[in-house]
Order: sequence, then structure tokens, then C-alpha cells
Amino acid sequence: MLLTGKNAIITGCARGIGRRMLIAFAENGANVWACCRTRTMEFDQFCEDLGKSNSARITPLYFDITDGLKMKEAVKTILAAKISVDVLVNNAGITYNALYQMTSMDKMREVFEVNFFAQVALTQYVVKLMVRQKSGSIINISSSAALDANPGRSAYGASKAAVACMTRVMAHELAEQNIRVNAIAPGITDTDMVGESMTSAAIEEAVEKTRLKRLGKPSEIADAAVFLASDLASYVTGEVVRVDGGLRN
Amino acid sequence: MLLRGKTALITGCLKGIGYEALQLFARNGADILACCQHEDPVFEEHRQKLAAETGVTITPYYFDLSNAEEIMSAMKRVAAEKRKVDILLNIAGTTEDSLFHMTTMASMRRVFEINFFSQMLVSQYVSKLMVRQKSGTIINVSSITAIDGNVGQTSYSASKAALIGATKTLASELAEYNIRVNAIAPGIIQTDMTAAIPAQTFEKLCSRIPMGRAGLPSEVAGVMLFLASDLSSYVTGQVLRIDGGIG
Repeated sequence: MLLTGKNAIITGCARGIGRRMLIAFAENGANVWACCRTRTMEFDQFCEDLGKSNSARITPLYFDITDGLKMKEAVKTILAAKISVDVLVNNAGITYNALYQMTSMDKMREVFEVNFFAQVALTQYVVKLMVRQKSGSIINISSSAALDANPGRSAYGASKAAVACMTRVMAHELAEQNIRVNAIAPGITDTDMVGESMTSAAIEEAVEKTRLKRLGKPSEIADAAVFLASDLASYVTGEVVRVDGGLRN
Repeated sequence: MLLRGKTALITGCLKGIGYEALQLFARNGADILACCQHEDPVFEEHRQKLAAETGVTITPYYFDLSNAEEIMSAMKRVAAEKRKVDILLNIAGTTEDSLFHMTTMASMRRVFEINFFSQMLVSQYVSKLMVRQKSGTIINVSSITAIDGNVGQTSYSASKAALIGATKTLASELAEYNIRVNAIAPGIIQTDMTAAIPAQTFEKLCSRIPMGRAGLPSEVAGVMLFLASDLSSYVTGQVLRIDGGIG
């Protein structure tokens, strides 16, 4: 129970890593604003059950993070609850694979819109609140693709590199307000996103590059987020923590 | 209780970061092989109290890391007692600060002996046990000076940089046995080591830290707990900075 009594916002909770984060945060005693793009009965029910089984408040919030107005509404809902926001996990993201010369500017902009600009916009709202509280922990999801060179990942990798850089700058700017800002750089993780965007041969090749010779589990990325959100990491800020099974390029 | 049922071997338990790690690990349910340079009545009292309070076993091992024979006989005792070791925390370390020009080879060798060679020897013995178990996690304590450099700390920073190289190589060699190897790189932490820094200099150092303060030994122990526990089961070959944002 590393997050007892903390209130967190997690984006991209519908599936994959975000879904596991939601579960891990609830199991560690956090109340969570669980953000996803599309409302489903399944997710409503999931949040209700998760909250009940962990005696935590799990509140679904539905908005498209690229829609500024919808985001503002969601933020208003959070503010209206008049509770602290201790943790923000900017997890929502999209992937895109194409060689650099085949990447249209439209695609490049679309990837940055979701993976970078939307995160900036949401974070700016939340930081205002954290500054007032004089405490907070922000966790951005970068990627090993931001730090290593992976062919076909120019748009995705660059957007995640922008996230990593912003993380370090924000850590500097916000430290005096007692707000920590860190990023996680997952390697190849066993999610739908990887399944949809990589061929099984490419996945096998990537696994070969990890020291642990296996894909990461979404829960293992979630556990790193729990650590960074918790007071175990109270002197850790501006870090990009690779959770990649020891990936070697 | 992140370490229930696990056993940790910790060097440098007598004070500072090592002592904090000992407490945090015991409170998280780990049995501990507590390695200290020498016997100490205050430590002994604390050890017994902590063991009684937490219900774990804390076995002291006394040896000097500058003495290879003492290390070997202690490690043989660990093996003879058929102890399993799930976690190795190589914490003990030393520094001898001087400008590069003024650093004698004897001083350079002393620092490397404690900060690097002795750790390698301990790791060799313990990793043998871990290979047999087919599981384990090793945590080396490097320093931000290994990455950033620091005036007057050639020998210290170089010895700590050597640990980073060893960490990454061991992570590669031991992964197939399900042994994870990581390092931490603390920044300016309030310990006896930094207490020796004149107050004015220390203040100046702290003014460079975005968080505006030195770290606490307990905060370093917190990151060690993460790396020692299953929370970091997909993390290996990494160097984690704990520096209040200096990096």
C-alpha cells in the first residue's frame, strides 16, 4: 500500500499499460480519476468494481485529449471535487510506424498532437493545482524509442523524446514547488499497441535485444509508476527510468 | 511489505545509507545478512531491537572490505550456513578527496580497493549463490560524480564510474539466470561523508539542487527498495539518479 490516501489522474486507462496502472494504483490505496477517450459500459462497470474491491474512489472521466474543450470540461469536474491531485500520469499515447521519408507531415503532426501537445495542455491545468498545494508527482510516459534509434520510429520516437526533454525541464522549473516530474521509458511491452504495430518477427527480434529475453508486462510498467508516484521516490526528479528488460541497441 | 520471504545481504550497514537500508528492508519483511566493518555496541543494540520489532532475522557479519581474506572467509560462512541471498546491496564505500595533481597512486588504489575491487569480490561470491537459485537482484551504489564529474574527486568518481561499467556488464552476463543488476547514483545526501564538507561549501552545493535541499539517506534506501523488490522486475542494467533534479 504505497499510495494510501493519494489522489491520481491517469490518462489512457482503456487498455494496455494504462489499465494496469489503474489497477496497480487502486490496489496501492490511491483514488483515481480514470481517463479514457470513449465511454463504454464495460469501463464504467470495471471502475465501479475496482473501487469496491479496493475501497478506493475510481471515477471514470471520458474525453478525447486532443479536444481542448472536452479536456477543459474534464478538468472542471476534477476541480469541482475540491480534493488534492497528488499524482498525474500522462499515459495516453498513440503509436505510428513508417520510414522517415514515408511519414507525411499530417501523420507527424497527429502523433505529436496526442503524444506531446495534449499532454502539455493537461499538465498545465494540473500543475496549477499542484503549485497551489505545493506538492505533486507527475509521471510522463516516454519510450525506449526516444532514447535509442529504431528505424521506422521517427515520428513516435521524436514525440517521446520531446516528452523526455520536457520532463527534465519541468523537473527543474517545478522543484521549488515540491513537484517531482519523472518519465518512464518502457521497452517492448506486451500490449495491443505492440501487437498491432509490429510483426511477430519484429517482436522476436526486439526480444532478442533485451537482456531478460522477454517482453515487458504492462503490470511491470505500472509498478514503476507506483514507485515514482510514491514517497519511496521523494528525492527522485528529472529522471527518465528505463523499464525495458535491459534493452541493448 | 515488499520483501516478505526474501533475504538481503547489505554491506556498510553501520551507519548512513546502509543503516537506513537495513531498517527499511527489515520493515519490509526481509531477513538480513548485515555486513559491517567492525563490531559496535550501539549498532548491536539497534540490530537486536530492530529484529525483535520486525520479526525478521538480522545476522551480523564483520569484515573489512580492504582485506580480501576477511571478505572471503565471511562469504564462505554465508555459503556454509546455507543462506540464500535474494538481494545484494553493495553500499559500503569511501572517499579520499584531493585535486588530481595531488592524488597519490596509493590513495587512488585505496579508494578503488574499497569502492570497486572489494565489491566485485563480494558480488562474485553472492552471484554464485544467485546463479544456483536462478534468481536475484544486485544493487551497486555509484554516484552522480561518476556521470557528471566533480572537482577534487578523481579517484572517487572514477571508482564509481567503474561500478557503472560493471553493473551493465553483469546485467548482461547474469540475465539468463534471472538476476537483475542495477546501480543507483545518489547526488548530495546528508551522511557522514558529506558532513565533512565545510558548511559554506555545502550550502553552495545545495543551492545547485533544483529541490533546494540535500537528500536523506532514507530517500536513497527508498529507491533501493524499489530495485530490490518485484516492482522493478523488468528493470536491469540501469543507473538511477537520486539527486533532487541536478541531472
